[in-house]
Amino acid sequence: MLDLHGYGYRLLEGGLLTLELAILSLILAVVLGLVTASAKLSSSIVIRAIAKAYTLVIRGVPDLVLMMLLFYGGQIGINMATDWLYYEFDVDIFVNVDAFVAGVITIGIIFGAYMSETFRGAFMAVDGGLLEAARAYGMRPWTVFRRIRFPLMMRHALPGLSNNWMVLLKTTALVSIIGLSDMVKVAAEATKATHEPFLFMIPVALGYLAISSVSEWCFMKLKARYDVGFGAEGASWNN
Amino acid sequence: MADTSIPLKINGLYKSFNDTPVLKGLSLDARKGDVITLIGASGSGKSTFLRCMNLLEMPDQGDIVVHGDPIKFKFDKHGRQPSDWKQVERIRSKLSMVFQNFNLWPHMTLLENVIEAPIHVLGQPKDKARANGLSLLERVGLAERASYYPTQLSGGQQQRGAIARALAMDPEVMLFDEPTSALDPELVGDVLEVMRELADEGRTMVVVTHEMDFARDVSNHVMFLHQGVIEEQGAPEQVLSHPKSERLKQFLSPRY
Repeated sequence: MLDLHGYGYRLLEGGLLTLELAILSLILAVVLGLVTASAKLSSSIVIRAIAKAYTLVIRGVPDLVLMMLLFYGGQIGINMATDWLYYEFDVDIFVNVDAFVAGVITIGIIFGAYMSETFRGAFMAVDGGLLEAARAYGMRPWTVFRRIRFPLMMRHALPGLSNNWMVLLKTTALVSIIGLSDMVKVAAEATKATHEPFLFMIPVALGYLAISSVSEWCFMKLKARYDVGFGAEGASWNN
Repeated sequence: MADTSIPLKINGLYKSFNDTPVLKGLSLDARKGDVITLIGASGSGKSTFLRCMNLLEMPDQGDIVVHGDPIKFKFDKHGRQPSDWKQVERIRSKLSMVFQNFNLWPHMTLLENVIEAPIHVLGQPKDKARANGLSLLERVGLAERASYYPTQLSGGQQQRGAIARALAMDPEVMLFDEPTSALDPELVGDVLEVMRELADEGRTMVVVTHEMDFARDVSNHVMFLHQGVIEEQGAPEQVLSHPKSERLKQFLSPRY
């Protein structure tokens, strides 16, 4: 049996943390990406400018720097806010920025910017006549989005989405700098203690590979789901 | 005041695109069972006029009254806007539109296309919408194609499917925006045949078309548009056989 010097369980825990962090960040990034993409396509100059500034800043600054800025800056900001509440209103609360929450928020914000570009392009690829038809039949904006715009857009967004997800998954390794024990952090500690890098890094690599393989399969399923109606049925063309 | 027996009444419609006026005071009364055809050269404003009727284009001025229910407008920094979008949605659901490019939703089967708005706009129960949708597809000769996707159908089949989708709303008025212009010549006949049947059973229709035979044989009122004004209108035999204006004579004369 493989002897992991007692690190086996912690490594597994680290793997679970990586997975949770990645999935929650992905959800946040998709929501932010959709909102920002819609903002970029908005008719209001102000809203477009805000969305543009967000993507410009996020894409122009290294992830590592952003993570530290948001984690420490976030804590300082919250402390200032709670101090102010204390002096002004005598309300005494203490909020500690949880490293896990900070990680999810940071990675979500970073990848929200990348996702917004993916979604913006995908939204623009949808034939406007199809949305017009939906509106002409009296659909409310939300119904148009849910029933027509979103499913048609997803077909164009999936390749970029899957690419972003793979990068996001590996970016989770950065959270060790704000004190989270993801699987890379655990493996690094174990390596320092035992001087056996391969014993720990190979399982970590395999862990990432396992997650990406499962994702690949999920994206294949999603692709099949959103390609329905676009000639993938192989049925005869009738005239 | 408002006559509730008239399905669609339009009064003094004006519309400009970037300061270029395209509609200059157009009016129209569609009484129950009327089939009104709008004819004219491209750029005459006939499609824009039709698209203003269900507010796919926003008219700058003028009233649109559907069954005595006038669309309410307000002015804000974007210009003239409907003040009650719920009302607009309600009115749109009574004015089904058939588009030149069909605009069937490609990710849904033909039947799903037909039942989409009845379920999600009118709130019909699914099984009722399906039964109704199937009978409508049967009427336009597409019962066997119900589970096909639009890309698997010919243009003519798609347009007949789009007509079934419009009928599924049980509309007060059907708006047709050049329904045969994107079709191969040999597929035009089937679509016109379906439209003729609808006219025969008393559907109120407003049709933008280049099909003069359809205008002559099926419609009871023809409007000739030129540069955003109604140059001439009346019964088809009068307008098409005895045109008064020079422009209409020119438009109707064989070009070769």
